[in-house]
Amino acid sequence: MNRLVAFLIALHPARFRERFGDEMAEHARDDLERARASGTAATLARAATLAMGLMGSAIAEHASPTWSGSHATSIKREGVGTMMMEWIRELRLAIRSLVRSPGFASASILTLALALGANAAIFAVVDTVLFEPMPFEEPSELVYLAASSPGSDLPEEFGLGAEFYLDFRYEASGLEEVATFNWFTSTFRTPERVERIPMSTPDVALFDVLGVEPLLGRIPDPEMDEALISFAMWTTWFGQDPGVVGQAYPMLDGTTREIVGVMKEDFGFPDDRVMVWVPTTFDPAEVTPGNFGLNVIGRLAEGSDAESVLPELQAIARRAPEKWGGSARYAEIAENVIPIVRPLEEALVGEARAPLWLLMSAVGGVLLIACANIANLFAVRAEGRGRDLAVRRAIGADRRHLIRPQLAESVVIVGVSAVAALALAWFTIPALIAAVPDGLPRITRVSLDGRVVAFTAFTSVLAGLACGLVPAVRASRPNLSRLRDGSRGSTRRRTLGRDALVVAQTALALVLLTGSGLLVRSFQALYSVDPGYDVENVFTFQFAAEEAHLVDGPSWAAFHLATMDRIRAMPGVESVGIIENVPLDESVRGVRVRTGENPDAESSVLGQATLAAGDYFETMGIDLVAGRGFTDRDAIEPGNVVVSTALAQMLWPGEDPVGRQIESTALPDMWHTVIGVADDILQYDMRGEPEPLMYYPIVFENPQATVTSPGYVVKTERAATIAPDIRALVREIAPSAPMYRVYTMKGLLDRVNAPITFTMIALVAAAGMSLLLGAIGLFGVLSYVVSQRSREIGVRIALGAQTAGVQRMVVWEGAKVVAVGVAIGMTGALATAGLIEGVLFGVRPLDPATFAAATMVMLSVGLLASWLPARRASSIDPIVSMRAD
Amino acid sequence: MSPPPEGGLKPLDYHVLLALAGEPLYGYAITEAVEAESSGAVVPGAGTLYRVLARLVTWGFVEERNGEDEAHPGRPRRWYGLTREGRRALADESRRLGEVAELAMRRLGMGRP
Repeated sequence: MNRLVAFLIALHPARFRERFGDEMAEHARDDLERARASGTAATLARAATLAMGLMGSAIAEHASPTWSGSHATSIKREGVGTMMMEWIRELRLAIRSLVRSPGFASASILTLALALGANAAIFAVVDTVLFEPMPFEEPSELVYLAASSPGSDLPEEFGLGAEFYLDFRYEASGLEEVATFNWFTSTFRTPERVERIPMSTPDVALFDVLGVEPLLGRIPDPEMDEALISFAMWTTWFGQDPGVVGQAYPMLDGTTREIVGVMKEDFGFPDDRVMVWVPTTFDPAEVTPGNFGLNVIGRLAEGSDAESVLPELQAIARRAPEKWGGSARYAEIAENVIPIVRPLEEALVGEARAPLWLLMSAVGGVLLIACANIANLFAVRAEGRGRDLAVRRAIGADRRHLIRPQLAESVVIVGVSAVAALALAWFTIPALIAAVPDGLPRITRVSLDGRVVAFTAFTSVLAGLACGLVPAVRASRPNLSRLRDGSRGSTRRRTLGRDALVVAQTALALVLLTGSGLLVRSFQALYSVDPGYDVENVFTFQFAAEEAHLVDGPSWAAFHLATMDRIRAMPGVESVGIIENVPLDESVRGVRVRTGENPDAESSVLGQATLAAGDYFETMGIDLVAGRGFTDRDAIEPGNVVVSTALAQMLWPGEDPVGRQIESTALPDMWHTVIGVADDILQYDMRGEPEPLMYYPIVFENPQATVTSPGYVVKTERAATIAPDIRALVREIAPSAPMYRVYTMKGLLDRVNAPITFTMIALVAAAGMSLLLGAIGLFGVLSYVVSQRSREIGVRIALGAQTAGVQRMVVWEGAKVVAVGVAIGMTGALATAGLIEGVLFGVRPLDPATFAAATMVMLSVGLLASWLPARRASSIDPIVSMRAD
Repeated sequence: MSPPPEGGLKPLDYHVLLALAGEPLYGYAITEAVEAESSGAVVPGAGTLYRVLARLVTWGFVEERNGEDEAHPGRPRRWYGLTREGRRALADESRRLGEVAELAMRRLGMGRP
């Protein structure tokens, strides 16, 4: 901010600045100092007011000086000093001349400020999310470790097993330290508040790997029931009370754990939203080889890199079977393992990269178009001075002196726009942070920092050169023939450069238009995906009851079955069910599944498992393709399961699954009977394929299958408005139990699709802006052409040309330019479509319909922008036009 | 020194003169005084304040003074005080404003008893 103030003070006239500059700087400092006492928002508002005020006084002091001081000394300066003085004089003249043409000045400043502001805001996000180093020690040494095993049924990239993890940790010399990490949601309970919040149970070594220390307290001892909380949780749950360290609360699986530390504000791993870390250690005695799926992070030892550790890791992995035992299938996997070592940064940010670059390029395109428009405005302005410049050139003014006034004007325009753009970014960045989808790393730390200011200064200089230099150079070699009285030169040649600008604008706008069209189509496609269940008219919530009588399985079972009956009896409710992981809200756990036909561990397959009860399938509208769903009996007497179509086909292809025996690692060695087959569903990812899934009944006899606060799903037409009624009911049943995760399924779908929605809206906005600017550019050029040719058009009309004919002539003029732009833009869109492929869904990057639609829109807008000046041309009065000069 | 233009003092000119009618003040203290004395209605920013001061100095209403400065970081502050002309201008303007205010009260039927 100090630098900004200094810059703004420097914009004042030298005499004024020499006398008052220091005082102004100090005044600004005092001002901010005082505002800082009343909080960040007040400081920001104050800073913005201050910047605008200083800009205003700089302009005002140039336009009407209040301080004459003594200027005898300053004129005598030589060399650089003289040039500075001349420039300052030139800038002052430019300010005065711009103040005299407020239309031109405000149009250019508004356009440029919007474009520069959008660039500053998006850059702030891109810079922080993609480029800010992670707040860990030596982040470049951190790597994400995984594996691949070609030829097995495992995914292309899978998480390591505990045995690989332990061997890598203790045997690999290329890795200094290794740790596991994870995150999930679980219940945290204080006397005042109960919620399911993001938690993590990493290996305690994680804190060594990352090289982080807590803000308060210490790292927990994994042998004790201890936990760390995040700065955000410390703030929102405990009001930053340091006394929270030492307090114990029930968390995770209901165990009461003591909070022994609070992490620093910038720490959030593996996600900024994680609020609780309960460190653990791995007991090698409990490792079952072949249980893959751990997330592992490591720190490279000095001198090694992601490439050089691979052979060592591969050798270690191959030795695992002889050390840990395991099945023949496992030995085969281990033999073929190819370790994957990727920079952690890439693993964390990976998905966000493409959309962010896309937005950055989109706003960059808007800036280019804005520059083209302003260059056009400058060119028209220079044209108006053509004769004046020709006179000056004729009497010997050198080119430099002819360019300078125009360059000075562009410097002033760009300077003011840049400051306005920063002010704009100041206000839009918080809105942008609120609008971007959850889960973008470091997003909360995005701010208008020095780098954003520097970036804006840099783009502004480029914009200034683009806007001012080209027209200035062109205008500085004016045609001396213009000195001849009445000569008008050739309109054709003079508009050529401007036509080129319009062509460029049209082309860029078309590229953006096509891109946003593809995203709109992806958005539509994502919303028309059938996830296998209804999203309309389904309400979902959870509550954590803590009644004294809820002590064992049967009491929980009776409680939830009774609660479902109460909800079912509410007006407008069609059905109700419960589920461990509500689709679109959470993912389900991965398991290995065996069948009664092939009970050996060797033949197990990868699947997923969850727990359900009540009329879950009916409520969600999941079709049962064979057998039946759960009854209340299944919730009390264990033994039955429902499988998904995909799982059934995988285990018993072409056969009837009902009545078969099945077991999974979710409830090891407990065999269940398949009673029904449910249609496949998409649990979380609308872009993915349905996973093979099995539904266990929520059986309260079995502690492993007990879910004390499951997700309720309620089918009702009042889904959007039923929450208060349910809340009242919950208060009646369990007065102290808070309700949480209150959603409609439609709301959850919107949340899951938020990334593409956000990208689409941002890109459509950018495309709309570029379309508008492009249209304005074309309109401006054609209006100019019409005004230059009014005499010729007047003659034509006088000689009997029809209105329609004149209009056609002008529109044709515009159409030619637009057509060339569309052709170039189409080529550009084809060439760049591949770049956004990763963001798209359900539409090919070269989708002909989208390309056709974008072209149609571009052509229509182009024709409209040509038609307005054409109408004016046809209404030219021949007498008036011929009498003019 | 050049005379003030026709049209007299602007509200901000008046408030700065008013603030300086007591003891000499430095820049930020003037802002604070103006803000307090106008009940927050007038808050000159860094740029505007010095333009007003420059104008008032040019007119000969305000001059630099030696002020009593407590210790503070940075270079010594410049203090400003009223000249005799400044006092007269402030008094004239106050009288004029007083008359205007009285007229207004009378017309609103709220004249002083």
